[in-house]
Amino acid sequence: MVGSIDSLLQSPVLAGAMARSGKNADVLDGVKPRLVVEPGSAAEVAALLAWASKERLSVVFRGGGTKLAWGRLPEPIDLMIGMRAMNRVLSHAHADLTATVEAGATLEEVNAELGRYRQWLPIDAPDGATVGGAIATNDSGPLRHRYGTPRDLLIGVELAITDGRLVKAGGKVVKNVAGYDLSRLVTGSFGSLAAIVSATFKLLPVPVSFQTLIAPFRNGDSITRAVASLNDSQLEPIAIEVHMRCVGRAFTARQAAREGPPYDDDTAPYRLLVRFAGAPAATVAQATQARALIGTGEVIAGEPESAAWRRYVARSAGSADTVVRINWLPAVLPQVLGLVEDLAASHQKVELMGRAAGGAGLLRLEGEIDWQASVAEQLRARPDVVRHVTIRDAPPDVKRKVDAWGHLGAAGTLASAVKRALDPAGILNAGRGPI
Amino acid sequence: MDERVVRELERICGSDGIVRERLELLTYECDALPYVREEPTVVVLPGSADQVQQVVRLCARENIPFVARGHGTGLSGGAVPVPGGVVIGLSRLNRVLDIDIPNRRVTVEPGVTNLEITKRVAPYGYYYAPDPSSQQVCSIGGNVAENSGGAHCLKYGFTVHHVLALDAVMPDGELVHLESAISDAPGPDLVGLIVGSEGTLAVVTRVVVRILRKPESVRTLLAAFDSIGAAGTAVSEIIAAGIIPAAVEMMDALAIQAAEAAVHPGFPPADAVLIVELDGPEAELQELFPLVEHICHRTGATSVEIASDESQRARIWKGRKAAFAAMGRVSPSYYVQDGVVPRTKLPDVLNRIRQLEARCGLRIANVFHAGDGNLHPLICYDEKVPGQAERAVEAAGEILSYCVEAGGSITGEHGVGMDKREFMPKMFTEDTLEVMQRVRDAIDPQHLCNPGKVFPTPRLCGEVPGPYREHPIEKAGLGERF
Repeated sequence: MVGSIDSLLQSPVLAGAMARSGKNADVLDGVKPRLVVEPGSAAEVAALLAWASKERLSVVFRGGGTKLAWGRLPEPIDLMIGMRAMNRVLSHAHADLTATVEAGATLEEVNAELGRYRQWLPIDAPDGATVGGAIATNDSGPLRHRYGTPRDLLIGVELAITDGRLVKAGGKVVKNVAGYDLSRLVTGSFGSLAAIVSATFKLLPVPVSFQTLIAPFRNGDSITRAVASLNDSQLEPIAIEVHMRCVGRAFTARQAAREGPPYDDDTAPYRLLVRFAGAPAATVAQATQARALIGTGEVIAGEPESAAWRRYVARSAGSADTVVRINWLPAVLPQVLGLVEDLAASHQKVELMGRAAGGAGLLRLEGEIDWQASVAEQLRARPDVVRHVTIRDAPPDVKRKVDAWGHLGAAGTLASAVKRALDPAGILNAGRGPI
Repeated sequence: MDERVVRELERICGSDGIVRERLELLTYECDALPYVREEPTVVVLPGSADQVQQVVRLCARENIPFVARGHGTGLSGGAVPVPGGVVIGLSRLNRVLDIDIPNRRVTVEPGVTNLEITKRVAPYGYYYAPDPSSQQVCSIGGNVAENSGGAHCLKYGFTVHHVLALDAVMPDGELVHLESAISDAPGPDLVGLIVGSEGTLAVVTRVVVRILRKPESVRTLLAAFDSIGAAGTAVSEIIAAGIIPAAVEMMDALAIQAAEAAVHPGFPPADAVLIVELDGPEAELQELFPLVEHICHRTGATSVEIASDESQRARIWKGRKAAFAAMGRVSPSYYVQDGVVPRTKLPDVLNRIRQLEARCGLRIANVFHAGDGNLHPLICYDEKVPGQAERAVEAAGEILSYCVEAGGSITGEHGVGMDKREFMPKMFTEDTLEVMQRVRDAIDPQHLCNPGKVFPTPRLCGEVPGPYREHPIEKAGLGERF
């Protein structure tokens, strides 16, 4: 069915587009794409998809490449569509607090532009991550506590459908219920339904000041009590993170010294990070109140504060072996912490970076491959404690042993029906899932 | 409808769970948009999700269309019966199933009213954020169908931002549990798709919503301006100062006059009043609220009243929330739309509305969510004057065109339903509508789930678009419009 690379490269649809054969740098989990194309416009993306559908070419979209290896091992990839050439902020209606950006723009690029009017798209993402990738994965970080995940900020999308059509759903106004919400439909779709070519977001003003309370804790019970007292209070932080590092059953200072701490004076196994933002005096007042409420910790501000969060967010994208995404009901935090401790066999390392109030977070695992794979199984065996256990990123050997997504149930059946409607030839996503 | 099917419906829902009497059926012939009516063939009132599932299964087997209905407060004809179909009234599914304060969530059946959730969690210091003006009577099931907003959605978002999970009977009769992206469910955000799909993809039988801790402080002010433009400038400057108010509402002179006549909120006579509400930690309000006050003065407010206590705040909000109902004081009838424009286009679009008002000879009051650009033009007319009703409909359509031309939307919170489906092609291309339809076909291949809504179709026989007419329930004094 699929012709040679040379014949593909000569296709008229590639005329004018940047197209080349796949290189080693393009390899994804051991699979080298046959062809890599970087379209420069929405129309080009649509034309590429129509062509790929006709030729039955399997397609993977690539933004910044920071989340490309998430999900299952890919099947053979005929066409990798790189979106980085489409990186413009198409409009920034600052007085309306909205912006429309091309999918290949990185969050840094977008926020640099928005920052001219002291506005931002408050989505935590690793360096180089694109807007399209953030939507396709619905990835988020600590800021989720206040601002939600990308789907909560998204108000419109332009999609290229596999039949070559361009469609725009949603709009450019923050309040709009006309028609089906295709924007939310593609969040979390991992490029399996359509190409996201541009997106419109509602924006937030960049807070004038930030203050973070960092409090160390010796055990799960004490940090759980601190989280509960914060939740019961009427303080309004923008992030509440529980950070836990386990080696065997105890975190060692020696380990921290060797690897470099995620922030200064990193010695305790548990750490609570509570971030406040807003008007200057109010931010100071809230951080002070939080310190009084918890009874421990240090408040940092200014450059050290932002640097600490940059390092923390970078850790969640760092080079751990396996990263598992988990969700839990906020009140079972003690059981989650207990479970994480149990998972860490004597010579293995587990790190939890959790949104304490919402019950969502990442587990970073370092250790033997078999053990890494078994952790996902062990977590899935405890639906009373954790839910939606998905392997975000893992070495291919781990992915061979355990399914990245687990059982999707009714949602999987429905989503697959939608996929068949939008991608009848089944060309998108190269089997990486979740559908 | 085949008697055999009716008997089976009766067997499923019980003899008191089926409505067939002509007079009783009339209750279900429309929602709060009374000009689109269709007398239902049969209405069932299931008492459990299991019964809903059996009804839908039966409909799927017999190829009979069905329409889910909450409390009938929708403003776009989304719950209008389908000829020859079954109306599934969900009012008996009205139990609050679980109040889980430690996990900040409440599980309810679809017939629970919006306000009931807040009432049940208020003693613990929590509330449910979406607050449509009809919150005392509208159902959560309806809120899910319409993705309802309210006055506070500028800061807190819509229903879709607060639904954690739902149980739904799909059009083939399968009962499924779906978790939203807020709960980190992997895969496309199906809950995000179903919320706001106006009952065309599923019948929701259970909803898990998140509840929020009550803010420490709330402060509200009422500012009067001698032009809508000046009030609009105040809003822009508040936003430009980096402040996201909990609510920013605006009313024009005619709306103020109507509200004063009806509920006497003590609004000053002015061309425009602005209600600005901030909430959050006390320390933050102490810093930001004076700034808002200052901006109002600087942009030409003729008076600024700050609510000093809860009763004053309630009085200000009463004036706003009663605005629709109050129109009866200044006009025999009115027709309301809910188009949206980018906030910065508000002055331009309001100007066009003023010109239209002069041209069509009908008075148009404006009440709107100024923070998010959601207009509620109330077009006044008198049914007894020949041609006025038709002119009101034309004017409403023209206003929606202004909204689309300004880069906005035909509906911000009321939904498309039957009312605005013919306007969909103004907003979306044929390709986009076709792709939306394909999504629908994937989930409801038989087209049984609330057909004839949202998507443009040729008008049905005898169906005339038209303005507000008094609902029989209102006529009988049994209910009022919010």
